[in-house]
Amino acid sequence: MAPTPAKRALPSKESGLFRELLNLYESRQLKKGLKTADQILKKYPEHGETLCMKGLILTHMGKREEGRELVKKGVRLDLTSHIVWHVFGLIQKGEKNYEEALKSYTQALKFDKENMNILRDAAHLQTQLRNFDGLVDTRYLLLKLRPNLRQNWIGLAVAHHLNGNPSDAKKVLEHYQRTLKNVPDYDVEQSELLLYHVRLLEELEEYPEALNMLDINAKSRAIVDRVGIMETRARILSKHGPPEEAEHAWRALIQHNPDNVNYYKGLLATKNIDLDALSETNRADALQILQDFTTHIPRADTPRRLALTISTGDEFETLAKAYVLRALKKGIPSLFVDIKTLYSDDQKRASIEAFFESYRESLEPSTPSPDPDADPTEYLWTLYFLAQHYSSVGNHARALTLLDTALLHTPTLPDLHTMRGRVLKRLGDPLGAANAVEQARLLDGQDRFLNTKAAKYRLRAGLTDEASDVFGLFTRKDAPSPGADLEDMQSLMYLVEEANAHRRKGKLHQALKKYHAILKVFQDFEDDQFDFHGYSLRKFTINIYLNLISWEDKLWSHPAYITAALAATQIYVTVHDDPSVAKDVLSSGTSSEAEKKAKKKAKKAAQKQQEEAKKGAAASGNEDKGLELVQPKDEDPDGVKLLSDPDPLERAWKFLAPLPGLAQDSIDVWIAVYDVAIRRGKYLQAVRALSNAKALDPENAELYVRYVHLRKAYSSLASPLPGSVGAVVAKALSSLLPEEQQSQLDTNQYLQRHSTDGRAAFAAARGQYILGSPRDEVDNTIFTVFNPDVNLLLKTAIDIFSWLNETHSPRADEFRVAADKKFALSTVFKTASEQATVEKEGLSVEEQQEVID
Amino acid sequence: MSTNIRPARVDDLMGMQACNLRNLPENYTMRYYLYHLMTWPSLSYVAEDSKGRIVGYVLAKMEEDVGPDDEPHGHLTSISVLRSYRRLGLAKKLMIQSQEAMAAVYKAPYVALHVRKSNRPALSLYRDTLQFSVQDIEKKYYADGEDAYSMRLSLKP
Repeated sequence: MAPTPAKRALPSKESGLFRELLNLYESRQLKKGLKTADQILKKYPEHGETLCMKGLILTHMGKREEGRELVKKGVRLDLTSHIVWHVFGLIQKGEKNYEEALKSYTQALKFDKENMNILRDAAHLQTQLRNFDGLVDTRYLLLKLRPNLRQNWIGLAVAHHLNGNPSDAKKVLEHYQRTLKNVPDYDVEQSELLLYHVRLLEELEEYPEALNMLDINAKSRAIVDRVGIMETRARILSKHGPPEEAEHAWRALIQHNPDNVNYYKGLLATKNIDLDALSETNRADALQILQDFTTHIPRADTPRRLALTISTGDEFETLAKAYVLRALKKGIPSLFVDIKTLYSDDQKRASIEAFFESYRESLEPSTPSPDPDADPTEYLWTLYFLAQHYSSVGNHARALTLLDTALLHTPTLPDLHTMRGRVLKRLGDPLGAANAVEQARLLDGQDRFLNTKAAKYRLRAGLTDEASDVFGLFTRKDAPSPGADLEDMQSLMYLVEEANAHRRKGKLHQALKKYHAILKVFQDFEDDQFDFHGYSLRKFTINIYLNLISWEDKLWSHPAYITAALAATQIYVTVHDDPSVAKDVLSSGTSSEAEKKAKKKAKKAAQKQQEEAKKGAAASGNEDKGLELVQPKDEDPDGVKLLSDPDPLERAWKFLAPLPGLAQDSIDVWIAVYDVAIRRGKYLQAVRALSNAKALDPENAELYVRYVHLRKAYSSLASPLPGSVGAVVAKALSSLLPEEQQSQLDTNQYLQRHSTDGRAAFAAARGQYILGSPRDEVDNTIFTVFNPDVNLLLKTAIDIFSWLNETHSPRADEFRVAADKKFALSTVFKTASEQATVEKEGLSVEEQQEVID
Repeated sequence: MSTNIRPARVDDLMGMQACNLRNLPENYTMRYYLYHLMTWPSLSYVAEDSKGRIVGYVLAKMEEDVGPDDEPHGHLTSISVLRSYRRLGLAKKLMIQSQEAMAAVYKAPYVALHVRKSNRPALSLYRDTLQFSVQDIEKKYYADGEDAYSMRLSLKP
C-alpha cells in the first residue's frame, strides 16, 4: 500500500476521533458525528476526509447545500483518498445523478481497489446505466473477493446474462451449484434460482438439459413454484419434445387454471392448430377439443368463448345463441366488449345483430307498463347490448333511441347512463356526455369507478373545476388538492386528461405543467428500479428481476408518455414560432373562482408542510433525512415559467429524447422530431426523421405538410450549409424527395390523390399557407372538406377550426356554422352563448352531496 | 375473447395501478407494486381483456414478520375488478389462483386482509363471494382514523 500522504495523516488523537466519526456515521448518530468532525477540523481545517464526512452528515440532516459545498471542498483537498470520492459518489447517487456518481465511485476504486461496499454500489450504478461490460468486471471482482457469499455468484451470472452472454452465465451457475451442500427442501430462494437456471438453458436452446433439470428438481421439491414448473414444462416441451407430452403438459395447466387463454392456444398448437390460420379440417378438431373442455369444466368461460371464434355458419349461430343467452340471463355488462372482437367477420356481425333484434322483439313489453312478473333485466341487457352495437357501427341515433327506451323502463341502472354518455361523447356533445355519466354517478355515490368516469367526462367537456370537485370525493382529504393526490398516486389517466383539457381551453401553461408531471412520473418509474439491483439478488428472484430490466428499457414507449411528449412538443413549437402566443395566454390568464380557491388551499397546505418541516428540524437535530433529494417547494404551480422559458425547443427536445429509439413505428414521433430539429437548424436530423416517417406511411397528411415545410426552409436558407454537412444533407434530401417526384408535392396533385379525405384537404391548405398562397386560396381549399364525397371526421373539423382561428382566417366563423350544420348532434361548434344555454345544472357537487349521504 | 386470467408480469403493473386508481380508495405508488412482484413473483394475478387491458387484479404478498403466536401467512394487499367486468366471477377466479400459489409455494396456512369498516361493497365481496370471515376489529388501522375489519380465510384443505 502507498504511504499515507502528509496532508491526510492525523496525529493519534485526531486519528482516533476520525475513526469514531466513521462509526458515528455508520450508526447515524448525526449530532455526535458533527461534533466530532468539528473537533478535528478545529485543529486541521484542511483535512479533506473530515470535511467530506461533515458534509455527508449535514446532508443527512437536511442541509444539502452546505453539505455539498463541504464535500466538494474536501475532494479538492485530497484527490487521492477513496473516502472523499466515496462520499461524493453517495451524495450524487442521492441526487439520482447516476452518471456522475459512477465516475466518483470509479475514482474511489482507484485508491481502494477491493472495497466491497464501493464495489457493490458501483455495480448497482453500472446496472442502472446499462454499463454491462463494466458490471461484469465489478461482479467478477466481488466474487473473487468473497466467493463464500451466495449472491456474489448470482451477481456475476446475471451480469453475464445482461451483457448478452447467457452461456457464461450458465457456467457460473453450474460452478455455483457444485459448491452447494445441504439445501433444505422447500427453500423458496433455491427454487427461484433453479427456475432461473432452467430459463437460461431454455434461452440457450438446450432443451433436453432444461427439461431434465426442471423435472428432477420438481420431483425432489427443490422447485416449489407449481405454476412456474408447469408453464416452463409446457413451453419447453412445445419447442422440443413429443407432441403428446406437450399436450399433456398444457392439459395439466388448463386443469389448474381453465381461464387462461394461452394454455388453450398452447394445447392447440401441439396439434398444429393455429387459431389465426384455420383450415376446414382442423377447425372441426379444434372445436371438438374445446367442447370437451366445456363439458368437463363447466365453470370455465374460455373454451366456450374460443369456440365462437373458431366456429362458422349454423354451428356458430347455435353456439353464439347459447353463449349470449347465458350472459344476458346473468346480466353480464361486458358482453358486448367480449362479442365485438368477432365483428371482424361480417357474417358473424350480421348474425349477432339479427339474433339480438329478434330477441329484443320477443321481450318487448306489449304495454307501456311491463308485466310485473317478468324478469325485466334480460330485456334491459338486450337493449344495452344493442345500443353498444349500433354505436360501434356508427349508428348513434339508433343507439340513443334504444337507451331512451331502456332508461324509461329502468332509470336506475348506471350502465345505461354511462353508455348514453359514451354515445354523446362520440357524437361530439361533451357536455351532454358529462351530464349523462353524472346521472350514473349519482345512482351509486360509493363507487369510485363511476366517480372516476364522471370526473373524466367533465374534463373532456372542459369543466376542470367541476371535475376536481368530483375527484375530491375520493381523494385524500389532507392533500393540497384532489389533483395533487392523483398526481402523487401517479394517475396517468388524470394527468393526461387534465393536461389535454387545459390545452383545449388554451391554458397552455397549465397544460405544460401537467405534461411535465407525466414526465416526472416516468422518471420516477425509471428510478424505482435502482433498489432492486441489490434487493433481487439477495432475494434470488432473478427471473422477475430480468423482466423488470426489460420493462424499464421500453418504459418510455408507453402511450401516456408519447401523448404527453407530442402535446408538449407541439405547444413548445407553437410558442417558438410565435412568442406572442405565450404572452397572450399569460396576460389573459385570469383564474376562475374555483382555481383561486384551490390555489389558496394549496398554498396553505404547502405552508403548513414547511412549518412542520421547520419544527421537525428544530426539535431533533439528530433526525436522519437520508441522502435522497427532497422535492423542493414548487415555485411554478401554474406552469407560467414553463411557458415563458427562453428556450422552448430545448424543453421540447427533452420530452422527445427517449423516444426515437423506442417508438420507431410512430409516425407522429418522427414528425415531432422533425418539427424540433428543423427549427434548431439540425438539417440532417430533420431530413432523417422525415425519411423514417416516409418509410412508415409516405402519403400521411401530416408528413405532407412537413415535406412542404422542409422544401421551403431549405430553399430559403440565407447561405448554403457548410462543407461536408451540406453535402450529406443534400444527399439525404434528394433521396427523401427525388427531383422527379417533386411535382407530387404540388398541392393540387396531393389533393387529387386524396380527394375524399378531409385530413388531406387540411394538409394541402396548410401547405399552401406555408408557401405563402393568398388567403382566399387557402380557405377555398379548406372548404372543400364540405363537399359531399369527402369523409370529414369530427376531430379533423375541430382541428381545422382551431387552425383557422390561430391563423386569423376571415372565414373561421363561416366554417364553424358549416361544421355545426354538418355535425348536427354535436355541440362543439355552437357559439359561446349557445353553449352557455346547454344544461350545466346537475353538475355542481354541493347540491348532490345530500344524495350521497 | 373472454377475460384471460394469468400470473401478473412486470409490464402489467401500470395497468394494475390504473385499475386500482379507478376502482378503490386505497392507492399505492409504483414502488409498492414493484416490491410485491419482486419479492413474491408468483402470488399476484391479473384479468385482461382481449386487447390486453387489465380489468382486474389481485396484488398479494406473504406476511413473514409475525409474532410468536402466529405463523407466516398470505396477505391480500388489494383486489379489484372494474365495474364493467362484474358478474363474470373474476374476483373469485383471481383469488383462487393466488391462494393456491400461497399454499403451494409458501405453505401458507391462511390468508388475511384488512378492509375499512365503512366499505360495504368490499366487505360483501370478501365475506359472501370469497368466503373470508371477520377475525377482529383493528382500531384506527387507517391513516384517517377509520377502523378496519381483519379478515381471514383458511387455506388448509
